[in-house]
Amino acid sequence: MIELEKVCKNYGLTKALIDVSFKIEKGQIVGFVGPNGAGKTTAMKIITTYTAPTSGTVNVGGYDVLENPLEVRKLVGYLPETVPLYSDMLVTEYLQFIGEARHLNGKFKQRYDWVVQAAGLEPVLHRKIGVLSKGFKQRTCLAQALIHDPDVLILDEPTSGLDPLQIIGIRNLVKELAHEKTIILSTHILPEVATISDRILVINDGRIVADGSFDDLRKQVTRRSSVYLAVKSTKKDFESALKSVSDLEDIEYDNNRKRGEIGAHLFFKSSADPVSKLNDLIREQNWNILEFHPEKLSLEDSFIRLTQSTGSNNEQAEETSEEGGAE
Amino acid sequence: MRDVGIIFRREFRAYFYSPIAYVFTVIFVVLNSGLYMFHFFFFGNADMRAFFSSLPLTLGLIFIPAVSMRLWSEEHKLGTVELLLTLPMKIEHIVVGKFLASFLFYLVALAGTLAIPILLIILGKPDFGPIIGGYFGAILLGAFFLAVGIFISGFFSDQIVSLIITSISCGFLALIGWQYVPMVIDGWIPGLGEFLYQYVGVTRHFNDIERGVVDFKSIIYFLSFTALFLYLNAKSLERRKY
Repeated sequence: MIELEKVCKNYGLTKALIDVSFKIEKGQIVGFVGPNGAGKTTAMKIITTYTAPTSGTVNVGGYDVLENPLEVRKLVGYLPETVPLYSDMLVTEYLQFIGEARHLNGKFKQRYDWVVQAAGLEPVLHRKIGVLSKGFKQRTCLAQALIHDPDVLILDEPTSGLDPLQIIGIRNLVKELAHEKTIILSTHILPEVATISDRILVINDGRIVADGSFDDLRKQVTRRSSVYLAVKSTKKDFESALKSVSDLEDIEYDNNRKRGEIGAHLFFKSSADPVSKLNDLIREQNWNILEFHPEKLSLEDSFIRLTQSTGSNNEQAEETSEEGGAE
Repeated sequence: MRDVGIIFRREFRAYFYSPIAYVFTVIFVVLNSGLYMFHFFFFGNADMRAFFSSLPLTLGLIFIPAVSMRLWSEEHKLGTVELLLTLPMKIEHIVVGKFLASFLFYLVALAGTLAIPILLIILGKPDFGPIIGGYFGAILLGAFFLAVGIFISGFFSDQIVSLIITSISCGFLALIGWQYVPMVIDGWIPGLGEFLYQYVGVTRHFNDIERGVVDFKSIIYFLSFTALFLYLNAKSLERRKY
């Protein structure tokens, strides 16, 4: 239904998207996850034909976004992050305008009733949009995206700024629509999409860094395990002793320890029982233990580590390629 | 064509959502009639020469920029440009719809000044040729300035910035046809002032029509520049994509 191939987008010198390719089948719900400024919104703007890709091809429902933008727009319902509303209009006038602009004609009444009910807009229909609460504004805009019963639904941060109850409401609505529509929704909060998406695309620094179901991703990030260890020793001894430990990937020193003490978060590659390995080491070194406990990375933490580590890898790659170019 | 109508209706209604529209219409009518009345009582002539001669400046500097400033600037500010440009409509239709809405609004304001010819009919025997010509010219002039204004408003998300830049641009177009200004420019760069006066300046063409000399060239001048700026507006918004 949606296919991006080697899409790049530059804003001046900034590279917003770099070689992004993915394919979304009909009926899938896909969550775009990534920190702010990662390129989620840019990707959505390209799919909705609002911006054009610098290079690469984008195909929605069989139509190219550059060659047949009008056909693409007919298929797509779009809730932009900025929640675009004419603040001087009444909610009902606004929906009528969108209905006309979407050429609904005879179908309008039925779609209007459905959308008002689904978005829960009855209490505010005859109020000016400008005076509505954030939640109602968001829902008015969502109604706009749904009114023409689009095959593809692009929702950019649909739950930002909403209270927990409203978030659940939107989540349920998306779930309800899931059977018939292809949906992309973006967020920077992973668990939010975890429950409703079939598939998650993690974007960071303009690249897709992970692609898979929530469980796949969780396996990927929780394969790393972490232990906090604090002992009485010097940094030098501590470091050299740890060299003998296999599967140790990364050490993050704790700067808050007193003199003569050393503490660190130790990150391991696999979950192959780091505690017993360290236990052996401690006995060998005859260390005085101050603190020693395994740490559970929250999903968010591990997600941040995932995006950060790929980010630094990219930087390294770019640096080397630049050096190569200079030679 | 239906899309033009849909955009036109929303835009025209939008003028009356805020009090700014009413305020500017009143200012326009009062200012122009006021300037004219001074002349009218002083010379006692039953014609509208004075009214039409000040029109290019009052329109270009104040009224048209105020009408056109919101057309795209407001969309940029509210973010609704993202909504408009992802509707299944051609950008050209949206531009024309917006233009026609502002044009009709201008015509309503211009109709407010019809009190003057009615007054003249009651008080004297005016020559209708120049008056009809004048209004015809004013309609063409307004369309041209509005097209410039909508083009400029496509670039800025701040209405005040659009207003000022449109005001400067239309003011320039009006002054360049004002005989004295081209003479000064000719003093600096010989030939340039004359060229601008002949081909770019608005006032000369407006005066031709207003005098009752309906020169085909002047009509073509207004219509083609109006179309050109509307076209440029559509292209510039499309260009923003890249």
